[in-house]
Amino acid sequence: MKRTAHSHFARCKRLTGLILLCVLPVWASAAELHVPAVVEAGQAFSIPLKDAGSGQATFYLVGPDHVMKRTVAFGSDLQIQSSDLRTAGRYQVILCDSSSCTSAIFEVKAAQPAHLSFFLHPSRVPVSTRDSIDATAFVFDQYFNLILTPAAVDFRITPASGAGFSREVSTRRGVAWMRMDSTPHEGRVQVTAALGSMEEARVIQQVAAEACGLRMKAVASGSMVTLETDPVRDCSGNALPDGTVVSFTKVDKAGKSTVDTPIKKGIARVQFSLDGRALISVACGVVLGNEVAVNGKL
Amino acid sequence: MSMVEITLALKKIAPPFAKMATFVITACVLAIAQSPTQIHLPQVNLPEVHLDATGLTPRPIEELTGTTIARHYALAWRDLTVALESGQAEGLGEEFVGFAKDRLTKRITEQNQAGMHVRIVDRGHHLKAVFYSTDGSAMQLLDQAQLEIQTFDGNKLLDTQNVPHKYMVLMTPGADRWYVRDLEEVSDKPF
Repeated sequence: MKRTAHSHFARCKRLTGLILLCVLPVWASAAELHVPAVVEAGQAFSIPLKDAGSGQATFYLVGPDHVMKRTVAFGSDLQIQSSDLRTAGRYQVILCDSSSCTSAIFEVKAAQPAHLSFFLHPSRVPVSTRDSIDATAFVFDQYFNLILTPAAVDFRITPASGAGFSREVSTRRGVAWMRMDSTPHEGRVQVTAALGSMEEARVIQQVAAEACGLRMKAVASGSMVTLETDPVRDCSGNALPDGTVVSFTKVDKAGKSTVDTPIKKGIARVQFSLDGRALISVACGVVLGNEVAVNGKL
Repeated sequence: MSMVEITLALKKIAPPFAKMATFVITACVLAIAQSPTQIHLPQVNLPEVHLDATGLTPRPIEELTGTTIARHYALAWRDLTVALESGQAEGLGEEFVGFAKDRLTKRITEQNQAGMHVRIVDRGHHLKAVFYSTDGSAMQLLDQAQLEIQTFDGNKLLDTQNVPHKYMVLMTPGADRWYVRDLEEVSDKPF
């Protein structure tokens, strides 16, 4: 009985030893690593190893886009080059001597703003439309790390006609965005995102909005009638672009027929054959124009 | 000392502990047996990803978009885990583009040169969508990830980190999926 207990005790000791053997290399310290908690991207620093004793060790640096392994000698400081720290994120340093390893963590934060990534949406927009233009700017440093600390982005709007204006927006988690109404006049509008000396410009084309006060006149000639609109404009007086479709609808005893025709040189024109009295209407998009009755009577 | 000897020793000392140990060893053996032998890629399950998109500005998220994002973010982490452990960066292109892909590819190349690899035990991600552009071209998310990260030089375990990790993520849509365009680990401090 005693012998069995002794045997179990010996086995227990062997097991404990085995477990400790597995755990110790992870827990024990080769030499304490003193690293700054936060470093700016591209900034070199050194890790003091002067007082860590003598001999050699293996040093590892593991970052978001960079892994380095090299042999270092105790007794001199360990230099981390600026080129090792270009990408923002969490870095791990590990130092292993012949018996154990020690590790430390530090964070690399983005450097100063150096790049703007700017999106303007949409590329074409009707005039005088509420909240129709969106501008979004992402702010990056010279290594294209997103800068998470707030920065003021100035959005400068320069319409083709009329006074320009600007709006300053602070970034949140690296992103600044704003929404604005389109201006009343058609044409090119330039929006520039600026931060310090950086500028990124994008252009948006403002086009006429829906037709306004759509009117047509009819000229009868025998069994034919020619219908022609006045110059088609929106409510701000901007001419609708050529190619915009205008629909003419005739209702007579033969039924209903519609002709779609594009605006050419600002007006839309169509010809119908007549068979008795007819009522003709005109529409452009969702806008209805006037109606004319033809059969000699206008 | 072989595993069989350890198991037998444990059996004699403490039967309940031995049962548990046997179970663990059996599970390990089964896991090894199930792992592919011809393709040397680790088998990694999809991690759990929970997406919270409440209060998202300037555009609300559509339900289908939310589902797609959560799925592809999980796939991205699976591919990342496999790539870091196997040293094979080829699979990253399925879910990563731009800076994220370039940086991870570079890291894996250098990791291979150093003879190192990283094993990630992924215990899930809580994603919070914080920005969704009006034109739907970009979404920014914050990820609170529960990861155990083991760093190896060859077969030697150098370090284990078992702390919560926080990532700033930028995802952009492609033809049939959402890609991870930027993945940056950030400190836990509020922005």
